[in-house]
Amino acid sequence: MIGKAPRWIIVVVGIVAFIWVIPIMGIVVTSLRPPEGVSLGWWRFDHFDLTLDAWRRVWDKYPLADSMWVTMKTAGIATALTMLLTPAAAYAFHFLTFPFRRVLLIIIINAFVLPQQVVIIPLFTLWRDMGLIDNILSVLIPYVGLSFAWSIFLVKNFFEDFPRELVEAAKIDGCGPLATFRHVVLPNSLSPIFAVGILQFLWTWNALLLPMLFLRSDVPLPVLLARISGSYEINWDLRSVAAILTTIVPLLVFLVFQRQFAAGSQTRTGAKE
Amino acid sequence: MADTSASPVREAAGVMQGSPLAAGIKGRRRLLRDTPAALILIAPVIVLFAIAVIYPLVETIRLSFWDIQGLRKPAFIGFGNYARLFADAAFRNTLLTTLIFTIGTTVISVAIGWVLAMLCAFAPQQTLPFRVMIFAAFGISEAVSGYMWIGIYRPDAGGLLNSLIQLLGFPGFAHAWLGDANTALWALIVAASWSGVGLPLMLIFAAIQAIPKSVLEAAYMDGAKPLSTMRHIMMPLSMPGVRVAVFINLLSALRAFDIIYILTGGGPVRSTETVGYFMYRESMTQFKLGYGAAATVILLLAVLIISIPAIIQRTAGAK
Repeated sequence: MIGKAPRWIIVVVGIVAFIWVIPIMGIVVTSLRPPEGVSLGWWRFDHFDLTLDAWRRVWDKYPLADSMWVTMKTAGIATALTMLLTPAAAYAFHFLTFPFRRVLLIIIINAFVLPQQVVIIPLFTLWRDMGLIDNILSVLIPYVGLSFAWSIFLVKNFFEDFPRELVEAAKIDGCGPLATFRHVVLPNSLSPIFAVGILQFLWTWNALLLPMLFLRSDVPLPVLLARISGSYEINWDLRSVAAILTTIVPLLVFLVFQRQFAAGSQTRTGAKE
Repeated sequence: MADTSASPVREAAGVMQGSPLAAGIKGRRRLLRDTPAALILIAPVIVLFAIAVIYPLVETIRLSFWDIQGLRKPAFIGFGNYARLFADAAFRNTLLTTLIFTIGTTVISVAIGWVLAMLCAFAPQQTLPFRVMIFAAFGISEAVSGYMWIGIYRPDAGGLLNSLIQLLGFPGFAHAWLGDANTALWALIVAASWSGVGLPLMLIFAAIQAIPKSVLEAAYMDGAKPLSTMRHIMMPLSMPGVRVAVFINLLSALRAFDIIYILTGGGPVRSTETVGYFMYRESMTQFKLGYGAAATVILLLAVLIISIPAIIQRTAGAK
């Protein structure tokens, strides 16, 4: 910024940041130490030895590989669907005229305030009556349906700055609305589409409540972690490995794409500075 | 970005649309031409949105007027569920818990994020790794961060907090943090705030970076110390970022479920149940669907009241 940064500021922020990662260090070190070392406290170094034992055993003890596959599948499909459907709808809402356009738009983009608790009772009875409990559709439909509230808003916001001349020129050249979308608008709006994809991926990968209620046999990682950390077995090392595996993918995605994430969060609230 | 009004296409259109009548006809033609394409493009969205949002919303409100318990025959009871909710001591306690949890978490995380953002603004380069470290907590799934905090609060020798207290020489303060109804809620608030600081830090830092350099230069030239620059320039000018951060943190604390489920399961003796958790317990574990739906409607009302400014802003912006 302006002038020389006072040293005390860097020290203070550094100390806070160090305190902030202690819980993360906790599970990483716990996952690398034998159970005897962990029960004394992961930070005690009197008998300090490291082992990958927990990382090997955890796969036999818990159905981690299956859960990982379920998580990848649900988060992957939900993300792809959102990235596919959102730009089409945002384009229609921004560039086309059709009956009830404004009413529909207002309803959809304001649904972002709804807590997910609103959907669980009706969807639970609906899925039960339709025999969809334990079917992957039971979580995919709400994942994708709920995402439109913020994703359409985010992409449509991007279209505010989209040069209308391009759209008009395509029209003069004889492009219909669908061709204009396919050849002019879509190729030029990849950045908001990927921002939407990243947000949706993080949200669906980390989801706990919906899959916990709607999926029974094959559960994604956060649900599996909730089940095993609720049991009373003393196996902190194994559980820590499971926790790390649950969060490593979204954490990496998050750290790599954190700029888009912050931008997306800002747009999500509809705040214009 | 682009000044569309100056485009030749628009000008030509303007000439053609000389009279309001012509404009009306043109508008109708455009409507007829656009509608089929628009329907194709938004149909999947409308269908999924209707199933996943509109139907549950209407149905939750409808169910809240019915007495539905397990396999018993449903009966319409009007506002009966609501009357029962407010007569239920457990629910009244839940309202208080929700208030303390929501405000506590929001105030703590936004305050810490705000101060850190202002400090970081003095050394954006050197503090970048520290910002990422703090922001990382926000990217960790709530289930996992709940699990991490169990490791800190657990009462045995492996619990970090109790060991630290022992190490500092106050063994009397060691405690079953999550097992005692007096401390569990605050333990939960601290854990939720830990992950909640990242977003305010990021948003407010961005707001401060947007302050014109000349303003800060002038303050520096006048010999303003960091603390007074913070107080008199950064604090007022970062308000837009703060408002957004407060709003997001309030909403997410109100809806909180995952971290409560993992850390305390609402206990001990329901002392950490917020409305968002209460509805789950009543409807999904006690099978009182109508009762749970009524609690959900209360949660919905709270969320709507907080969101009114954002809703007005979005509605006005929807063109």
